[in-house]
Amino acid sequence: MMARVLVADDSETILLLLRTRLEMAGHEVQTATDGQGVLDALKAAGPKPDLLLLDAMMPRISGIDALRELRAGGVDTPALIVSAHEEASGDGDEMLGIGGYISKPIDFEALFERIAELTSG
Amino acid sequence: MKFRASRASQQAYSRRRLRLSQSLAKRLTIGFTIAFAVLAALAVIGVARFIQQRQDFEDAIARSYQSEIQARTRIPQGRHPAAARATVLAQQRRRRALRDDISNQTRDTALLVGAGLIAALTGAALLFSGLISSMRRPLENLVEASEQLAAGDLEARVKVGGLSETASLGRAFNEMAAELQRRAGERDQLDRMKDEFVLTASHELRSPLTSVQGFAELLMMERDKLSPEQVETVEVILDNSRHLVRLLNDLLDLARSDAGRLKIEPRPTEVETLVEDAERAMRGQLEARGQALSTAIDPDLPRASADRDRVRQVMVNLLTNASEYCPEGAAIEVKATRIDADVEIAVIDNGPGIPQDQLEHIFERFTRGDAGLTQRVGGTGLGLAIAKSLVELHGGSVAAESTPGGGSTFSFRLPAATASGDAPHAPLEAEAR
Repeated sequence: MMARVLVADDSETILLLLRTRLEMAGHEVQTATDGQGVLDALKAAGPKPDLLLLDAMMPRISGIDALRELRAGGVDTPALIVSAHEEASGDGDEMLGIGGYISKPIDFEALFERIAELTSG
Repeated sequence: MKFRASRASQQAYSRRRLRLSQSLAKRLTIGFTIAFAVLAALAVIGVARFIQQRQDFEDAIARSYQSEIQARTRIPQGRHPAAARATVLAQQRRRRALRDDISNQTRDTALLVGAGLIAALTGAALLFSGLISSMRRPLENLVEASEQLAAGDLEARVKVGGLSETASLGRAFNEMAAELQRRAGERDQLDRMKDEFVLTASHELRSPLTSVQGFAELLMMERDKLSPEQVETVEVILDNSRHLVRLLNDLLDLARSDAGRLKIEPRPTEVETLVEDAERAMRGQLEARGQALSTAIDPDLPRASADRDRVRQVMVNLLTNASEYCPEGAAIEVKATRIDADVEIAVIDNGPGIPQDQLEHIFERFTRGDAGLTQRVGGTGLGLAIAKSLVELHGGSVAAESTPGGGSTFSFRLPAATASGDAPHAPLEAEAR
Protein backbone atom coordinates (compact mmCIF):
# COMPACT_ATOMS: atom_id res chain seq x y z
CA MET A 1 0.00 0.00 0.00
CA MET A 2 1.37 3.34 -1.02
CA ALA A 3 2.02 5.90 1.69
CA ARG A 4 3.21 9.49 1.77
CA VAL A 5 6.32 9.48 3.96
CA LEU A 6 8.13 12.52 5.35
CA VAL A 7 11.77 11.56 5.85
CA ALA A 8 14.13 13.69 7.94
CA ASP A 9 17.87 13.12 8.27
CA ASP A 10 20.81 15.51 8.41
CA SER A 11 22.88 13.24 6.16
CA GLU A 12 22.27 13.80 2.43
CA THR A 13 23.40 10.27 1.57
CA ILE A 14 21.09 8.63 4.09
CA LEU A 15 18.28 10.81 2.80
CA LEU A 16 19.06 9.75 -0.77
CA LEU A 17 19.20 6.09 0.26
CA LEU A 18 15.89 6.26 2.12
CA ARG A 19 14.20 8.18 -0.69
CA THR A 20 15.42 5.71 -3.32
CA ARG A 21 14.38 2.61 -1.40
CA LEU A 22 11.03 4.02 -0.33
CA GLU A 23 10.22 5.20 -3.86
CA MET A 24 11.26 1.80 -5.25
CA ALA A 25 8.81 0.26 -2.79
CA GLY A 26 6.12 2.52 -4.21
CA HIS A 27 5.93 5.19 -1.50
CA GLU A 28 5.79 8.91 -2.06
CA VAL A 29 8.65 10.73 -0.31
CA GLN A 30 9.07 14.22 1.10
CA THR A 31 12.37 15.14 2.75
CA ALA A 32 13.69 17.47 5.44
CA THR A 33 17.23 17.90 6.72
CA ASP A 34 16.38 18.84 10.29
CA GLY A 35 13.56 19.13 12.79
CA GLN A 36 12.67 22.65 11.64
CA GLY A 37 12.19 21.29 8.11
CA VAL A 38 9.74 18.73 9.50
CA LEU A 39 7.74 21.40 11.34
CA ASP A 40 7.73 23.63 8.23
CA ALA A 41 6.61 20.76 5.99
CA LEU A 42 3.64 19.99 8.23
CA LYS A 43 2.61 23.66 8.44
CA ALA A 44 2.83 24.08 4.67
CA ALA A 45 -0.26 23.81 2.48
CA GLY A 46 -0.80 20.65 0.46
CA PRO A 47 -1.17 16.97 1.24
CA LYS A 48 -0.07 15.93 4.71
CA PRO A 49 2.26 12.92 5.15
CA ASP A 50 0.83 9.57 6.34
CA LEU A 51 4.02 8.76 8.23
CA LEU A 52 7.07 10.50 9.71
CA LEU A 53 10.46 8.78 9.50
CA LEU A 54 12.73 10.90 11.69
CA ASP A 55 16.38 10.64 12.57
CA ALA A 56 16.71 10.81 16.35
CA MET A 57 19.78 13.02 16.27
CA MET A 58 19.79 16.07 14.05
CA PRO A 59 21.35 19.48 14.61
CA ARG A 60 19.25 22.25 16.16
CA ILE A 61 15.87 20.50 16.43
CA SER A 62 16.20 16.72 16.76
CA GLY A 63 13.63 14.25 15.50
CA ILE A 64 12.40 13.67 19.04
CA ASP A 65 12.10 17.40 19.77
CA ALA A 66 10.23 18.01 16.51
CA LEU A 67 7.87 15.17 17.33
CA ARG A 68 7.28 16.55 20.82
CA GLU A 69 6.34 19.93 19.33
CA LEU A 70 4.05 18.32 16.74
CA ARG A 71 2.25 16.24 19.38
CA ALA A 72 1.80 19.36 21.51
CA GLY A 73 0.23 21.02 18.46
CA GLY A 74 -2.22 18.14 18.06
CA VAL A 75 -0.55 16.43 15.06
CA ASP A 76 -1.01 12.66 15.45
CA THR A 77 0.72 11.39 12.30
CA PRO A 78 2.37 8.00 13.06
CA ALA A 79 6.14 8.27 13.50
CA LEU A 80 9.18 6.00 13.32
CA ILE A 81 12.51 7.05 14.79
CA VAL A 82 15.74 6.11 13.03
CA SER A 83 18.54 5.79 15.53
CA ALA A 84 22.07 4.55 15.85
CA HIS A 85 21.14 3.53 19.37
CA GLU A 86 19.58 0.19 18.76
CA GLU A 87 18.39 0.00 22.32
CA ALA A 88 16.90 3.48 22.20
CA SER A 89 13.47 3.49 23.67
CA GLY A 90 12.45 5.13 26.78
CA ASP A 91 10.04 7.06 28.86
CA GLY A 92 7.44 9.05 27.05
CA ASP A 93 7.46 6.86 23.93
CA GLU A 94 3.73 6.33 24.17
CA MET A 95 3.09 9.97 24.90
CA LEU A 96 5.05 10.90 21.79
CA GLY A 97 3.26 8.27 19.74
CA ILE A 98 6.48 6.68 18.55
CA GLY A 99 5.54 3.65 16.49
CA GLY A 100 8.96 2.04 16.70
CA TYR A 101 12.69 2.45 16.36
CA ILE A 102 14.67 1.63 13.26
CA SER A 103 18.31 0.99 14.00
CA LYS A 104 21.20 1.66 11.68
CA PRO A 105 22.19 -0.02 9.44
CA ILE A 106 18.60 -0.15 8.23
CA ASP A 107 16.87 -3.46 7.65
CA PHE A 108 14.62 -2.27 4.81
CA GLU A 109 12.35 -5.31 4.77
CA ALA A 110 11.53 -4.73 8.43
CA LEU A 111 11.08 -1.01 7.77
CA PHE A 112 8.58 -1.61 4.93
CA GLU A 113 6.63 -4.03 7.11
CA ARG A 114 6.42 -1.49 9.91
CA ILE A 115 5.35 1.26 7.52
CA ALA A 116 2.59 -0.99 6.17
CA GLU A 117 1.38 -1.74 9.70
CA LEU A 118 1.33 1.90 10.74
CA THR A 119 -0.39 3.26 7.64
CA SER A 120 -2.97 0.53 7.08
CA GLY A 121 -5.26 1.72 9.88
CA MET B 1 50.51 3.00 35.03
CA LYS B 2 53.78 2.88 37.01
CA PHE B 3 54.06 4.02 40.56
CA ARG B 4 57.08 6.22 40.65
CA ALA B 5 57.64 8.53 43.60
CA SER B 6 58.76 11.98 42.63
CA ARG B 7 62.21 13.14 43.69
CA ALA B 8 60.75 15.49 46.27
CA SER B 9 58.62 12.82 47.87
CA GLN B 10 61.58 10.42 47.89
CA GLN B 11 63.60 13.03 49.76
CA ALA B 12 60.79 13.64 52.20
CA TYR B 13 60.60 9.89 52.67
CA SER B 14 64.32 9.52 53.49
CA ARG B 15 64.17 12.51 55.84
CA ARG B 16 61.28 10.93 57.65
CA ARG B 17 63.10 7.60 57.83
CA LEU B 18 66.14 9.37 59.31
CA ARG B 19 64.00 11.14 61.88
CA LEU B 20 62.26 7.91 62.72
CA SER B 21 65.46 5.90 63.22
CA GLN B 22 67.14 8.69 65.22
CA SER B 23 64.21 9.01 67.50
CA LEU B 24 63.83 5.29 68.07
CA ALA B 25 67.60 4.87 68.59
CA LYS B 26 67.63 7.73 71.07
CA ARG B 27 64.88 6.21 73.13
CA LEU B 28 66.61 2.84 73.19
CA THR B 29 70.02 4.36 73.93
CA ILE B 30 68.71 6.41 76.85
CA GLY B 31 66.87 3.40 78.22
CA PHE B 32 69.87 1.14 77.95
CA THR B 33 72.26 3.77 79.34
CA ILE B 34 70.17 4.40 82.43
CA ALA B 35 69.74 0.68 83.07
CA PHE B 36 73.44 0.05 82.53
CA ALA B 37 74.52 2.98 84.73
CA VAL B 38 72.28 1.85 87.57
CA LEU B 39 73.60 -1.69 87.28
CA ALA B 40 77.23 -0.52 87.15
CA ALA B 41 76.79 1.83 90.11
CA LEU B 42 75.16 -0.93 92.14
CA ALA B 43 77.98 -3.31 91.30
CA VAL B 44 80.68 -0.78 92.24
CA ILE B 45 78.92 0.21 95.46
CA GLY B 46 78.31 -3.44 96.34
CA VAL B 47 81.90 -4.54 95.74
CA ALA B 48 83.38 -1.49 97.50
CA ARG B 49 81.16 -2.03 100.49
CA PHE B 50 82.02 -5.70 100.58
CA ILE B 51 85.77 -4.96 100.48
CA GLN B 52 85.43 -2.26 103.17
CA GLN B 53 83.44 -4.56 105.44
CA ARG B 54 85.96 -7.37 104.96
CA GLN B 55 88.84 -5.02 105.72
CA ASP B 56 87.17 -3.71 108.89
CA PHE B 57 86.41 -7.28 109.93
CA GLU B 58 89.96 -8.45 109.46
CA ASP B 59 91.36 -5.44 111.33
CA ALA B 60 88.98 -6.05 114.20
CA ILE B 61 89.85 -9.77 114.32
CA ALA B 62 93.58 -8.92 114.27
CA ARG B 63 93.14 -6.41 117.10
CA SER B 64 91.17 -8.97 119.06
CA TYR B 65 93.91 -11.61 118.71
CA GLN B 66 96.50 -9.04 119.77
CA SER B 67 94.54 -8.22 122.92
CA GLU B 68 94.12 -11.92 123.68
CA ILE B 69 97.81 -12.65 123.21
CA GLN B 70 98.76 -9.73 125.46
CA ALA B 71 96.36 -11.04 128.12
CA ARG B 72 97.65 -14.60 127.83
CA THR B 73 101.26 -13.43 128.28
CA ARG B 74 100.13 -11.76 131.50
CA ILE B 75 98.60 -14.98 132.97
CA PRO B 76 101.90 -16.92 133.72
CA GLN B 77 103.49 -13.76 135.12
CA GLY B 78 100.80 -13.84 137.80
CA ARG B 79 99.78 -10.24 137.48
CA HIS B 80 95.94 -10.01 137.72
CA PRO B 81 95.49 -13.50 136.30
CA ALA B 82 91.72 -13.37 136.75
CA ALA B 83 91.39 -10.12 134.77
CA ALA B 84 93.66 -11.56 132.06
CA ARG B 85 91.53 -14.68 131.75
CA ALA B 86 88.43 -12.56 131.57
CA THR B 87 90.02 -10.54 128.74
CA VAL B 88 90.88 -13.76 126.84
CA LEU B 89 87.28 -14.96 127.11
CA ALA B 90 85.95 -11.51 126.20
CA GLN B 91 88.15 -11.40 123.09
CA GLN B 92 87.03 -14.87 122.06
CA ARG B 93 83.36 -13.78 122.41
CA ARG B 94 84.12 -10.58 120.53
CA ARG B 95 85.57 -12.54 117.61
CA ARG B 96 82.49 -14.79 117.50
CA ALA B 97 80.33 -11.68 117.42
CA LEU B 98 82.51 -10.13 114.71
CA ARG B 99 82.17 -13.30 112.61
CA ASP B 100 78.40 -13.21 112.99
CA ASP B 101 78.39 -9.53 112.08
CA ILE B 102 80.47 -9.97 108.94
CA SER B 103 78.26 -12.74 107.64
CA ASN B 104 75.21 -10.55 108.33
CA GLN B 105 76.81 -7.59 106.65
CA THR B 106 77.83 -9.65 103.60
CA ARG B 107 74.30 -10.98 103.33
CA ASP B 108 72.88 -7.45 103.63
CA THR B 109 75.19 -6.14 100.92
CA ALA B 110 74.28 -9.06 98.65
CA LEU B 111 70.59 -8.41 99.32
CA LEU B 112 71.03 -4.70 98.64
CA VAL B 113 72.85 -5.31 95.36
CA GLY B 114 70.30 -8.01 94.40
CA ALA B 115 67.38 -5.73 95.17
CA GLY B 116 69.02 -2.95 93.16
CA LEU B 117 69.57 -5.30 90.23
CA ILE B 118 65.97 -6.40 90.30
CA ALA B 119 64.81 -2.78 90.52
CA ALA B 120 66.99 -1.75 87.55
CA LEU B 121 65.87 -4.72 85.44
CA THR B 122 62.24 -4.10 86.35
CA GLY B 123 62.67 -0.47 85.36
CA ALA B 124 64.18 -1.49 82.02
CA ALA B 125 61.43 -4.05 81.43
CA LEU B 126 58.77 -1.45 82.26
CA LEU B 127 60.42 0.98 79.86
CA PHE B 128 60.32 -1.57 77.03
CA SER B 129 56.83 -2.81 77.75
CA GLY B 130 55.71 0.82 77.89
CA LEU B 131 57.29 1.41 74.48
CA ILE B 132 55.75 -1.74 73.06
CA SER B 133 52.29 -1.16 74.47
CA SER B 134 52.25 2.42 73.25
CA MET B 135 53.12 1.12 69.76
CA ARG B 136 50.69 -1.78 69.82
CA ARG B 137 47.41 0.10 69.39
CA PRO B 138 48.66 2.26 66.49
CA LEU B 139 50.22 -0.82 64.86
CA GLU B 140 46.98 -2.76 65.21
CA ASN B 141 45.17 0.18 63.62
CA LEU B 142 47.68 0.13 60.79
CA VAL B 143 47.21 -3.58 60.22
CA GLU B 144 43.44 -3.12 60.18
CA ALA B 145 43.62 -0.17 57.78
CA SER B 146 46.07 -2.06 55.50
CA GLU B 147 43.66 -4.98 55.34
CA GLN B 148 40.79 -2.64 54.48
CA LEU B 149 42.93 -1.03 51.80
CA ALA B 150 43.91 -4.43 50.40
CA ALA B 151 40.23 -5.39 50.33
CA GLY B 152 39.61 -2.38 48.10
CA ASP B 153 38.35 0.17 50.60
CA LEU B 154 40.40 3.12 49.41
CA GLU B 155 38.81 5.35 52.05
CA ALA B 156 40.72 3.50 54.78
CA ARG B 157 42.87 5.82 56.93
CA VAL B 158 44.52 5.56 60.37
CA LYS B 159 44.28 8.00 63.27
CA VAL B 160 47.68 9.68 63.54
CA GLY B 161 48.98 9.79 67.11
CA GLY B 162 50.99 8.15 69.87
CA LEU B 163 54.78 7.98 69.68
CA SER B 164 56.48 10.03 67.00
CA GLU B 165 57.45 6.77 65.25
CA THR B 166 53.90 5.44 64.99
CA ALA B 167 52.61 8.92 64.21
CA SER B 168 54.93 9.29 61.23
CA LEU B 169 54.18 5.72 60.16
CA GLY B 170 50.48 6.60 60.30
CA ARG B 171 51.04 9.78 58.30
CA ALA B 172 53.05 7.87 55.70
CA PHE B 173 50.27 5.27 55.46
CA ASN B 174 47.61 7.93 55.05
CA GLU B 175 49.63 9.68 52.33
CA MET B 176 50.01 6.36 50.52
CA ALA B 177 46.28 5.60 50.81
CA ALA B 178 45.39 9.08 49.54
CA GLU B 179 47.71 8.65 46.57
CA LEU B 180 46.23 5.22 45.79
CA GLN B 181 42.74 6.69 45.98
CA ARG B 182 43.70 9.55 43.69
CA ARG B 183 45.18 7.17 41.12
CA ALA B 184 42.19 4.83 41.33
CA GLY B 185 39.97 7.85 40.71
CA GLU B 186 42.03 8.82 37.68
CA ARG B 187 41.87 5.26 36.38
CA ASP B 188 38.10 5.11 36.84
CA GLN B 189 37.76 8.38 34.99
CA LEU B 190 39.95 7.09 32.14
CA ASP B 191 37.85 3.93 32.04
CA ARG B 192 34.67 5.98 31.83
CA MET B 193 36.19 8.09 29.05
CA LYS B 194 37.19 4.94 27.18
CA ASP B 195 33.68 3.48 27.56
CA GLU B 196 32.11 6.74 26.39
CA PHE B 197 34.53 6.91 23.49
CA VAL B 198 33.76 3.38 22.31
CA LEU B 199 30.01 3.95 22.66
CA THR B 200 30.16 7.23 20.76
CA ALA B 201 32.54 5.91 18.12
CA SER B 202 30.43 2.85 17.38
CA HIS B 203 27.35 5.06 17.11
CA GLU B 204 29.07 7.55 14.85
CA LEU B 205 30.34 4.77 12.57
CA ARG B 206 26.83 3.49 12.05
CA SER B 207 25.63 6.30 9.78
CA PRO B 208 28.33 6.00 7.10
CA LEU B 209 28.08 2.23 7.37
CA THR B 210 24.33 2.49 6.77
CA SER B 211 25.08 4.30 3.51
CA VAL B 212 27.73 1.81 2.39
CA GLN B 213 25.53 -1.18 3.08
CA GLY B 214 22.37 0.49 1.80
CA PHE B 215 23.83 1.54 -1.53
CA ALA B 216 25.56 -1.81 -2.01
CA GLU B 217 22.17 -3.46 -1.46
CA LEU B 218 20.68 -1.05 -4.00
CA LEU B 219 23.27 -2.12 -6.54
CA MET B 220 22.52 -5.77 -5.84
CA MET B 221 18.84 -5.10 -6.50
CA GLU B 222 19.85 -4.25 -10.05
CA ARG B 223 22.30 -7.09 -10.46
CA ASP B 224 20.93 -8.00 -13.93
CA LYS B 225 22.48 -4.75 -15.17
CA LEU B 226 25.90 -5.64 -13.70
CA SER B 227 28.67 -7.82 -15.08
CA PRO B 228 29.56 -10.95 -13.07
CA GLU B 229 32.79 -9.22 -11.92
CA GLN B 230 30.78 -6.22 -10.71
CA VAL B 231 28.35 -8.47 -8.85
CA GLU B 232 31.30 -10.14 -7.15
CA THR B 233 32.73 -6.74 -6.20
CA VAL B 234 29.46 -5.62 -4.66
CA GLU B 235 29.23 -8.90 -2.76
CA VAL B 236 32.65 -8.21 -1.24
CA ILE B 237 31.46 -4.76 -0.18
CA LEU B 238 28.32 -6.27 1.37
CA ASP B 239 30.24 -9.06 3.13
CA ASN B 240 32.62 -6.58 4.64
CA SER B 241 30.00 -4.09 5.66
CA ARG B 242 28.10 -6.88 7.42
CA HIS B 243 31.29 -7.89 9.14
CA LEU B 244 31.78 -4.27 10.25
CA VAL B 245 28.24 -4.20 11.61
CA ARG B 246 28.92 -7.37 13.63
CA LEU B 247 32.14 -5.85 14.91
CA LEU B 248 30.35 -2.63 15.89
CA ASN B 249 27.57 -4.54 17.63
CA ASP B 250 30.10 -6.63 19.52
CA LEU B 251 32.14 -3.56 20.49
CA LEU B 252 28.98 -1.85 21.63
CA ASP B 253 28.00 -4.84 23.76
CA LEU B 254 31.42 -4.95 25.38
CA ALA B 255 31.51 -1.21 25.98
CA ARG B 256 28.05 -1.41 27.54
CA SER B 257 29.15 -4.33 29.65
CA ASP B 258 32.22 -2.38 30.81
CA ALA B 259 30.13 0.67 31.59
CA GLY B 260 27.63 -1.45 33.52
CA ARG B 261 24.91 -0.62 30.98
CA LEU B 262 24.44 -4.08 29.54
CA LYS B 263 21.05 -5.20 30.76
CA ILE B 264 19.36 -8.56 30.76
CA GLU B 265 15.87 -9.66 31.71
CA PRO B 266 16.14 -13.25 32.91
CA ARG B 267 12.90 -15.26 33.02
CA PRO B 268 12.35 -18.94 33.75
CA THR B 269 12.91 -20.53 30.35
CA GLU B 270 12.84 -24.14 29.13
CA VAL B 271 16.33 -25.21 28.13
CA GLU B 272 14.83 -26.88 25.08
CA THR B 273 13.53 -23.49 23.91
CA LEU B 274 16.99 -21.96 24.31
CA VAL B 275 18.59 -24.77 22.31
CA GLU B 276 15.91 -24.61 19.61
CA ASP B 277 16.38 -20.83 19.27
CA ALA B 278 20.09 -21.33 18.67
CA GLU B 279 19.51 -24.24 16.30
CA ARG B 280 17.15 -22.14 14.21
CA ALA B 281 19.56 -19.22 14.09
CA MET B 282 22.46 -21.47 13.05
CA ARG B 283 20.70 -23.76 10.57
CA GLY B 284 21.70 -21.87 7.42
CA GLN B 285 25.32 -21.50 8.37
CA LEU B 286 25.69 -25.13 9.44
CA GLU B 287 23.99 -26.46 6.31
CA ALA B 288 26.24 -24.33 4.13
CA ARG B 289 29.25 -26.07 5.64
CA GLY B 290 27.68 -29.52 5.62
CA GLN B 291 27.98 -29.74 9.40
CA ALA B 292 25.58 -31.82 11.47
CA LEU B 293 24.21 -30.51 14.75
CA SER B 294 22.94 -33.02 17.30
CA THR B 295 21.36 -32.17 20.63
CA ALA B 296 21.19 -34.09 23.90
CA ILE B 297 19.03 -32.51 26.58
CA ASP B 298 18.53 -34.23 29.93
CA PRO B 299 14.81 -34.99 30.26
CA ASP B 300 14.37 -33.75 33.84
CA LEU B 301 16.12 -30.41 33.51
CA PRO B 302 14.72 -27.51 35.51
CA ARG B 303 13.95 -24.29 33.69
CA ALA B 304 16.91 -21.92 33.48
CA SER B 305 16.81 -18.32 34.56
CA ALA B 306 17.64 -16.83 31.20
CA ASP B 307 17.21 -13.80 28.95
CA ARG B 308 16.18 -15.65 25.82
CA ASP B 309 17.68 -13.23 23.28
CA ARG B 310 20.94 -12.92 25.15
CA VAL B 311 21.34 -16.67 25.68
CA ARG B 312 20.68 -17.17 21.98
CA GLN B 313 23.46 -14.65 21.33
CA VAL B 314 25.80 -16.64 23.61
CA MET B 315 24.92 -19.95 21.93
CA VAL B 316 25.19 -18.48 18.45
CA ASN B 317 28.65 -17.16 19.33
CA LEU B 318 29.76 -20.59 20.60
CA LEU B 319 28.20 -22.47 17.67
CA THR B 320 29.59 -20.00 15.11
CA ASN B 321 33.06 -20.61 16.51
CA ALA B 322 32.57 -24.38 16.43
CA SER B 323 31.34 -24.17 12.85
CA GLU B 324 34.05 -21.85 11.60
CA TYR B 325 36.99 -23.57 13.27
CA CYS B 326 35.86 -27.07 12.31
CA PRO B 327 36.29 -28.48 8.83
CA GLU B 328 33.30 -28.88 6.54
CA GLY B 329 31.22 -31.92 7.42
CA ALA B 330 32.22 -31.83 11.07
CA ALA B 331 29.87 -32.98 13.83
CA ILE B 332 28.79 -30.53 16.52
CA GLU B 333 26.82 -31.46 19.60
CA VAL B 334 24.83 -29.37 22.06
CA LYS B 335 24.45 -31.07 25.41
CA ALA B 336 22.41 -29.78 28.35
CA THR B 337 22.75 -31.26 31.83
CA ARG B 338 21.94 -30.36 35.38
CA ILE B 339 24.87 -29.58 37.68
CA ASP B 340 23.84 -28.82 41.27
CA ALA B 341 21.57 -25.79 41.13
CA ASP B 342 22.73 -24.86 37.64
CA VAL B 343 21.92 -25.86 34.11
CA GLU B 344 24.99 -26.49 31.99
CA ILE B 345 24.86 -26.14 28.23
CA ALA B 346 27.91 -27.38 26.34
CA VAL B 347 28.86 -27.00 22.69
CA ILE B 348 31.09 -29.93 21.75
CA ASP B 349 32.94 -30.22 18.45
CA ASN B 350 35.35 -32.71 16.94
CA GLY B 351 37.48 -30.01 15.34
CA PRO B 352 41.22 -29.38 15.49
CA GLY B 353 41.21 -28.33 19.16
CA ILE B 354 43.02 -25.46 20.84
CA PRO B 355 46.56 -25.55 22.29
CA GLN B 356 46.71 -25.06 26.07
CA ASP B 357 48.48 -21.68 25.93
CA GLN B 358 45.72 -20.24 23.74
CA LEU B 359 42.96 -21.87 25.74
CA GLU B 360 43.98 -19.92 28.84
CA HIS B 361 43.22 -16.62 27.13
CA ILE B 362 40.36 -17.79 24.96
CA PHE B 363 37.70 -15.64 26.67
CA GLU B 364 39.79 -12.48 26.38
CA ARG B 365 39.04 -9.84 23.77
CA PHE B 366 40.48 -10.21 20.30
CA THR B 367 41.91 -13.61 21.17
CA ARG B 368 41.57 -16.02 18.28
CA GLY B 369 42.77 -19.51 17.65
CA ASP B 370 45.48 -20.01 15.05
CA ALA B 371 42.84 -21.03 12.56
CA GLY B 372 41.24 -17.62 12.94
CA LEU B 373 44.45 -15.99 11.81
CA THR B 374 45.30 -18.31 8.94
CA GLN B 375 41.91 -19.31 7.59
CA ARG B 376 39.16 -16.98 6.51
CA VAL B 377 37.12 -16.98 9.67
CA GLY B 378 34.38 -14.39 9.90
CA GLY B 379 34.41 -13.82 13.66
CA THR B 380 35.29 -10.57 15.33
CA GLY B 381 37.48 -12.00 18.08
CA LEU B 382 34.97 -10.61 20.56
CA GLY B 383 32.34 -13.35 20.55
CA LEU B 384 33.67 -15.31 23.51
CA ALA B 385 34.38 -12.21 25.57
CA ILE B 386 30.76 -11.14 25.03
CA ALA B 387 29.49 -14.64 25.78
CA LYS B 388 31.42 -14.55 29.07
CA SER B 389 30.02 -11.12 30.00
CA LEU B 390 26.47 -12.16 29.18
CA VAL B 391 26.65 -15.45 31.06
CA GLU B 392 28.20 -13.75 34.09
CA LEU B 393 25.42 -11.17 33.96
CA HIS B 394 23.03 -14.09 34.42
CA GLY B 395 24.99 -15.12 37.50
CA GLY B 396 26.56 -18.05 35.63
CA SER B 397 30.01 -19.02 34.44
CA VAL B 398 31.79 -20.11 31.26
CA ALA B 399 34.41 -22.80 30.71
CA ALA B 400 36.49 -24.17 27.84
CA GLU B 401 38.23 -27.52 27.47
CA SER B 402 40.18 -28.79 24.54
CA THR B 403 42.68 -31.37 23.45
CA PRO B 404 44.64 -30.47 20.33
CA GLY B 405 43.42 -32.84 17.66
CA GLY B 406 40.58 -34.05 19.87
CA GLY B 407 38.00 -31.32 19.60
CA SER B 408 36.83 -28.60 21.97
CA THR B 409 34.03 -28.15 24.48
CA PHE B 410 32.74 -24.70 25.36
CA SER B 411 30.19 -24.69 28.14
CA PHE B 412 28.28 -22.23 30.25
CA ARG B 413 26.13 -22.55 33.32
CA LEU B 414 22.95 -20.67 34.07
CA PRO B 415 21.22 -20.70 37.44
CA ALA B 416 18.10 -22.83 37.49
CA ALA B 417 14.92 -20.80 37.91
CA THR B 418 13.46 -21.12 41.39
CA ALA B 419 9.86 -22.15 42.02
CA SER B 420 8.79 -18.53 42.49
CA GLY B 421 10.06 -17.84 39.03
CA ASP B 422 12.95 -15.57 39.90
CA ALA B 423 16.55 -16.44 39.60
CA PRO B 424 18.37 -16.55 42.91
CA HIS B 425 20.64 -13.51 43.14
CA ALA B 426 20.83 -13.07 39.38
CA PRO B 427 22.15 -9.58 38.82
CA LEU B 428 20.06 -7.62 36.38
CA GLU B 429 22.80 -5.24 35.37
CA ALA B 430 26.51 -5.52 34.99
CA GLU B 431 28.01 -4.29 38.20
CA ALA B 432 30.09 -1.21 37.91
CA ARG B 433 33.63 -2.31 38.49
